[in-house]
Amino acid sequence: MVSAPRRRYELTQSQKLMVFILAMSLYGISNMFSELIPEIKLGPIEIKVEYFAFIPLTLCILFNPLYAALGASFGEVIFGELLLGQFGGLGELEKFIEFTLAMYIAGLLVSDPRNRKQLALASFVAVGIDQMLSAIVDISKVWFGIEELEAVPGIPESIVLIEGLSFLNAMVITGILFSLLPTLFLVPRLYGKIEPLLGMKPRDSRVQVSFGKLMTPRLLITSILFVFIGVTGEFLSEADINIAVWEPEFLEQYGSGFMWVSVAAAALVLIVTLYAAVRAKSKNSQSTEGSQI
Amino acid sequence: MNSHRNDSRKEGPLAAAPIIELQEVNFQYPGAEVMALSHIHLTILRGEFIAIAGTNGSGKSTLCKCLNGLIPNYYVGDLSGYVQVAGLIAENESVSSLSRKVAYVFQDFENQLVRPTVYDEACFAPLNYGFADYRERADRALAMLGLESLSDQWIWQLSGGQKHLTALAGALSLDPDIIIVDEPVAQLDPYHARLIYDKLKLLNEQYGKTIIVIEHHTEFIADYCSKVVLMDSGTIRWVKPVQEALSSVEELEALHILPPQVTLAIRETEEQQRPDGIYPVTIPQAVDYYRTRLPLFPLQSIDEDAHAAKVSVPSIQSPATTLVQFDNVSYGYKTITRTLHPVLRGIELAIHEGDRIALVGNNGAGKSTLLKLISGIRRPNDGLLTVCGHLTKHTSPETLSDYVSYIYQNPEEMFIEDTVRKDVEYFLKARSSEDYRPFVDEVLERLRLTPLQDRDGRLLSGGQQRRATLAIGLAMQPSVMLLDEPTASLDASSRREMTAMLNQLQGRVKATVIATHDMQLVAEWANRVIVMHNGQIALDTDQQSLFGHTAVLELAGLIAPQIAQLSLALGLRPPSLSVKHFADRIRKLMGQHRSQEEADSIASH
Amino acid sequence: MQAIKQSMLDKLSVEQIKIELMRTAFGRQSVLLSRFDPRILIVWYSFFAVAPWFFHNKTILLGMLVPMAVLTLSSKVSPLVLIIMGIGLVSEIMYILFGSLLFGGSLEAVWPLATLTVKILIISLASIAVFSSMDPEKLSDALLSMGMPAQFSFGVSYGYRMLPILIEEYHNLIHSFRLRGRSPRDKDFLRWRSLVYMGKIAVCAFYPLILNTAKRTRTTVEALEVRGFTYALISPDAKRLKLAYLRVKPLDFVFLGCSALYMIALLALGRIFVL
Repeated sequence: MVSAPRRRYELTQSQKLMVFILAMSLYGISNMFSELIPEIKLGPIEIKVEYFAFIPLTLCILFNPLYAALGASFGEVIFGELLLGQFGGLGELEKFIEFTLAMYIAGLLVSDPRNRKQLALASFVAVGIDQMLSAIVDISKVWFGIEELEAVPGIPESIVLIEGLSFLNAMVITGILFSLLPTLFLVPRLYGKIEPLLGMKPRDSRVQVSFGKLMTPRLLITSILFVFIGVTGEFLSEADINIAVWEPEFLEQYGSGFMWVSVAAAALVLIVTLYAAVRAKSKNSQSTEGSQI
Repeated sequence: MNSHRNDSRKEGPLAAAPIIELQEVNFQYPGAEVMALSHIHLTILRGEFIAIAGTNGSGKSTLCKCLNGLIPNYYVGDLSGYVQVAGLIAENESVSSLSRKVAYVFQDFENQLVRPTVYDEACFAPLNYGFADYRERADRALAMLGLESLSDQWIWQLSGGQKHLTALAGALSLDPDIIIVDEPVAQLDPYHARLIYDKLKLLNEQYGKTIIVIEHHTEFIADYCSKVVLMDSGTIRWVKPVQEALSSVEELEALHILPPQVTLAIRETEEQQRPDGIYPVTIPQAVDYYRTRLPLFPLQSIDEDAHAAKVSVPSIQSPATTLVQFDNVSYGYKTITRTLHPVLRGIELAIHEGDRIALVGNNGAGKSTLLKLISGIRRPNDGLLTVCGHLTKHTSPETLSDYVSYIYQNPEEMFIEDTVRKDVEYFLKARSSEDYRPFVDEVLERLRLTPLQDRDGRLLSGGQQRRATLAIGLAMQPSVMLLDEPTASLDASSRREMTAMLNQLQGRVKATVIATHDMQLVAEWANRVIVMHNGQIALDTDQQSLFGHTAVLELAGLIAPQIAQLSLALGLRPPSLSVKHFADRIRKLMGQHRSQEEADSIASH
Repeated sequence: MQAIKQSMLDKLSVEQIKIELMRTAFGRQSVLLSRFDPRILIVWYSFFAVAPWFFHNKTILLGMLVPMAVLTLSSKVSPLVLIIMGIGLVSEIMYILFGSLLFGGSLEAVWPLATLTVKILIISLASIAVFSSMDPEKLSDALLSMGMPAQFSFGVSYGYRMLPILIEEYHNLIHSFRLRGRSPRDKDFLRWRSLVYMGKIAVCAFYPLILNTAKRTRTTVEALEVRGFTYALISPDAKRLKLAYLRVKPLDFVFLGCSALYMIALLALGRIFVL
């Protein structure tokens, strides 16, 4: 089975609370600002700042990624939505899950905060996963929302194109300007300096990352990718159009049901991994901090 | 409205059992080499008002955190010894059970407030501890401190003093036996600090609470406390009644604690040391003292010599260049109801070359706003403001920074780089100055920052932080230097040092404006004093005559230095601004008096 | 010219944003829907947030849209929010339409897309109607009683507390950069350089902000410990006391009942007139 990530370093109850509160307030406030930054629209391509991804990412890298990621997502909901009177109900839930997952995985990827390659990778992974997941949700909304999608030509391709463009935009604008560059700037500066302010020891980079530890984030990324590709493919095939790559021969043999199986399997792996990860964390935290955190 | 319901049960024999008892307490932070507390023995009785004094790092806060269980439950470390608090043996208790007996108001109390409104804040702790009557408790706590009228206010709308009281109410709602307040004077102006102390006194006298303050401002200790615990490097040096404690002048000064000015003055003017070593420590005591010794009391003579000998003031009569000109300037900000809240109204002011202006007035009078207008980060709504030939309305802060440097009240907001040196260089680098390194070296050296230049500003001590911000300002080579509360929350020695540094600015800048509550600084440094009240200039004068305007002082919530208050109480006009000056005057008067007596006795013979 | 540019920049200034933020966060009015129990509203909302996906009958969808529109109007939402939402929704649908034409579709796609739009509109309006008027503290209490961890509801009120402090601090830090920096002098296309300059400051200011906030957080957590927050997390008393004010009243059932009756009537109508 999937091995859950082991603790990287010990954290007391109140230190977890500190990381949580820190991530919440900082990302929350940045989120308020990014909500208000005007976007430049050039036709369907919007050049806009999705979010200040570097803040939660930096904290996920420097501290316990789970608490930092959860804190940041809470911060977004609280500052960016609730306090501004823009709470979107269930829509927030999906954003919450996407974002927490993305930041958590990206944070896990970095074993040495001084390694710039790892930082760069994490910056793109964080934005990439988040955008991919939200693309999946968007696509499925159209899929559910339009009856007999195959009867309407052009729409599926159109959605994929738009989602693709927005994905690219996010990767370039947010990924480079608001994730990669600031993270490379901030993490090395903060590493070793911010931890004593919270009464903690800096993360020890000399700890060898075990196979099990590396396995989990990779597995997560792979499964997310799989779900993404699966959903897109299934979506397009439902609409009865075939893009060359997405017409494997076995599809004819086994029917399109096969694709569903693979999507379901990937989703299952994802859920189980996450569950195991959260369980392992909360077991360590003596569960005084509430059931989810 | 003040409820006295609790009085009856608190009025029992107060002196009986010790409410706090520590025996042979030792504590060491993990990884630290020295003991944070060693061999602590301390007994505090119910109803006492205790001051814990000592230098930074002497273990004052550590000691107090042992009392509410934060040590060793929150700060893990090796704690040994016996700690008894309000009948509980600390060893067997948790933070939550001890905290119900011991209230704690932190030094940075702003961060202690976690709720949006005052009422919520007062409810928070009793609600957490599951007291069904949490609303009554909150109401009671607010009533004790006279905060009822504020209960629906948002915390962010409160002034510093009100926030401190709210933090106190939040702690008081648990109905604790002991209240610990960590350095109330540090973050407040003297006027509000006095208000806080008055409330603490009330809690002590009317409600029988045991009060412990961590404090090194001896005027406050003298006026309010009954006993002093002096700490030095993790040990208790002594516990003495307040008058005896504050008379130990040499010992206090050796630990960088400034004794009350009146005590110093009396020691200066007395011919020989007293055998019991006990001196007056408060103004009323000192007045009584001089009343018996100076028969001409109250002294009416205007001491002309002293007036002439005041701190040298460069004459402003010469046609000095005007650097900053306010022409009927008004400023207000938009509130959340979209109305304009006026902060400054019709300001007319000219700042000339050679000015050393102290800008004084209570909170909300508009001092900081005035500075921000000059720096260009705020723009007047009305009127014209010219700074070194530029109309600020049409000039970016970046351009104005070639002429003006503005030093924030909170140094941490000025450290934008990761080392002090980089912060000092930032301005020069942004302007790609030619070879700025030797100049930066010189500035750092002058402010004794060379050994600290590679550290992050916010990790320095309070005094070092202030010096670093001053260096940042100096490196900008400004014509006008603006400082907002440069001596706030500094201990006596850092304050003295800062004043010396400010005196060094002369010659480097053309004019300096300091917004401050520190009347000592005003007395020792300024050559022009501007009193602000309600967004207007109430008085524009020199510092010597300032303390004579008692009505204006009262209006603006200013408290003159102790020595000036003493001089006025004795009838000395203009008031002395330093202990030395006061002592000289008194000695001269005594001498005159003596020679007069001698002359009289000779004549009568 | 310089003055105009400067004032344009001012409109976008942190100061302006600060006022706007504070206004939305602290200036809430009470409206029709805020009279009901927040938990009932959440249940009500959950139905209307999910149901539209399962209907393709346009009669029913339009029938659902009407009460949402009425409730939204009654909740005194600022027109700006509605306009922004409207523009966003319409432009998104237009993109999809143009895209589909590109891929050989026809204008027939308008009809199914309009259905999709109505669905999204119902859901958005439901959330605006319910949540924009709901006091965040009430909402968080409702969620707390529904099993959300206490950290969340703490976070909401803490957010209220910290918002002004953090904005102020960020603002001051930005000024710190500006008071020592040098803005680009040359005029160029679309003030491109100024944008980059401000953007860079906006990001760099987070370095000190992160450290300063970390320093604050330590005292805060210490105070939380002393003031029983961590104790409350494990004790049921605090939660019970805190939520004691939440009560479902007859009026709430009337509201739910009316909604249910309306939906039943709508479903019946949908059978008769299928659009």
